[in-house]
Amino acid sequence: MVKDVISVNNLEVWFSVRRGFMESLTSKEQNWVKAVDGVTFNIKEREIFCLVGESGCGKTTTGKAILRLVEPTGGTVKYAGPGLSPQKIKEAAADAVSKRKMTREMANKDVKEGRVEVRYLHKSLMKALRQKMQMIFQDPYESLNPKQSVYDIVAEPLVVNNLGANEAERESRVKKALDDAGLRPPKDFMWRYPHEVSGGQRQRVGIAGALVLEPSFLVADEPVSMLDVSIRSEILKLMLDLRDKKGLTYLFITHDLSVAYVFSDRIGIMYLGKIVELGPTEEVIKGPRHPYTKALISVVPKPDPRMKTDKIILKGERPDPAHIPPGCRFHPRCPFAMDVCRKKEPQPLYVTQEHWVSCWLESGVGVQ
Amino acid sequence: MSLLEVKDLKTYFKTQEGTLKAVDGIDFTLDKGQAMGLAGESGCGKTTAALSIMKLLPANGYIAGGSINFMGQDMSKVTGDKLRAIRWRDISIIFQGAMNALNPVKRVGDQITEPILLHENVDEAVAKKRVQELFSLVGINPNRIREYPHEFSGGMRQRVMIAMALACRPKLVIADEPTTALDVMIQAQILQLMKNLQTELDLAMIIISHDLSVLAETCDLLSIMYAGKIVERSSAVEVFANPQHPYTKGLIAAFPNIKGDRKMPASIAGNPPNLIRPPKGCRFSERCYMVQDICKVSEPPLIEVLPGHYAACHFVQPKR
Repeated sequence: MVKDVISVNNLEVWFSVRRGFMESLTSKEQNWVKAVDGVTFNIKEREIFCLVGESGCGKTTTGKAILRLVEPTGGTVKYAGPGLSPQKIKEAAADAVSKRKMTREMANKDVKEGRVEVRYLHKSLMKALRQKMQMIFQDPYESLNPKQSVYDIVAEPLVVNNLGANEAERESRVKKALDDAGLRPPKDFMWRYPHEVSGGQRQRVGIAGALVLEPSFLVADEPVSMLDVSIRSEILKLMLDLRDKKGLTYLFITHDLSVAYVFSDRIGIMYLGKIVELGPTEEVIKGPRHPYTKALISVVPKPDPRMKTDKIILKGERPDPAHIPPGCRFHPRCPFAMDVCRKKEPQPLYVTQEHWVSCWLESGVGVQ
Repeated sequence: MSLLEVKDLKTYFKTQEGTLKAVDGIDFTLDKGQAMGLAGESGCGKTTAALSIMKLLPANGYIAGGSINFMGQDMSKVTGDKLRAIRWRDISIIFQGAMNALNPVKRVGDQITEPILLHENVDEAVAKKRVQELFSLVGINPNRIREYPHEFSGGMRQRVMIAMALACRPKLVIADEPTTALDVMIQAQILQLMKNLQTELDLAMIIISHDLSVLAETCDLLSIMYAGKIVERSSAVEVFANPQHPYTKGLIAAFPNIKGDRKMPASIAGNPPNLIRPPKGCRFSERCYMVQDICKVSEPPLIEVLPGHYAACHFVQPKR
């Protein structure tokens, strides 16, 4: 069986809403923006798992919380990929137990299964683990420092992590990363500045910056949405190549279902901080079960005027994560909302072995 | 007579390194009530072409040649008050990035009233009433005219921009990447709105986008631009059904199709050429999969392949 590199269980990221002084005196209840509100999924080794949703649904926050670029406020994130020595796993478990973050039983189970709880790692261990977990950012026009050369940008992670014994070794690692990211020959690109390379090449620089630490897990946040359509698939193909050659595992975040369709192995559809449907890509796209998934698929523009399809255009905009509706959070926009949807939150229901959906419309094959 | 007739339009920019030929001889015509899509990669000159029609070019840009005939007047020569009378009254534009195009410290209603008061001899009450009508037309609650831009979401701001473009009942609306910054669901709402408005008000529209699938859903005509030139032009259905230019074929193939097979779309290798020193011959030759010697020496003219279907490639022949 293929093991799970990442297992996310009931992950929560809540941001507190600032209260005024008077409000805190009158002990008005603390409000929360529930950006991520109980997300559960796992990513297998060498798998591309894709989170799809509208902006503000919490997909980026989920990605960042896994890397602890924002601190989760609840749930667990376990990592079981390469780069962990048994000794380190034991150390991490003992540390979490001593800080009373985990019970001894939970910690022992993690040690046995060779994984660490990312949420409770202390600083130095987290820093070491981050070398194995990297991120590719959305906007290659904004995420690269215009005052740094490509070499400096890609070498920065080595400097920060104190890797590479000397400059020569660093240079060879940078060159290798640039080469892996398809910037060939590396010496042609190394001394250029971001404005001297094209959009697609910028994104390759971003990828090289992530690759230089030789990670095993990458969070790619909309890596192609800012790029021209004509070069998008080049970047996607590069990412596939890297997976095949280096055995990488990806969490791919996008709002573009058609990209998710051609690129990912499994898809999770997110709405307002929760995954509402999850399953193998082909199954979800060809046989969507949740009304939200169906609507999302129907509005993807078709690159052919002869293909006119019926669109399910949802009224209104996504509701506010500070005021999540009771019951099923999708019910105010759902064309099929029933009484029960307004009162009780639906639980995940497996419709096939690997495909589940949270919707009251599904009578389902079995309840989880 | 057509509403808009662009002939051999050339728009250049003066830069430190030399003259940048952003638009280098494009032709098209647009009739009343027609929607034309202008597609191409970033930097191909599609926005510059649109700004030339409105004469909104930055200080270092100028129209170097050709004519823009709009309702009997050559826009490339109109200046001063005359130009001001046409802008927004007859031609208006929906700018790229609705998030940033509105003034954050002015009420949205006032921002829309402004062009009405400037262009028409009406008092404020009439203008205000018009704004309320416009708001309901684009699907915003008319009571929201006293709100500020930050109180609107991205999709709603885009609707405000559309209402503003329609304020003086123009004949031609240019929409520059109208949905690029928006979510798919909001994008679908806005595209549907634009299509409805276009038929209801009999508007002519030029929609600029790098996203062919957006244009496929909204346009009657389609022009594909590459490096400052139109390389293919026809009805939208015809371009998709029967693409002639290798670049058009490449662009269409680059789209993942959610209704089709699950396979990675093709890409077009390489980058668009430098427009200060464009390559000799066909500008697409460096990236073309069918390139031959002739492509590197002589530039292919835009020929009529089928009635109303034009393409500029050495390897397309008129089919009669």
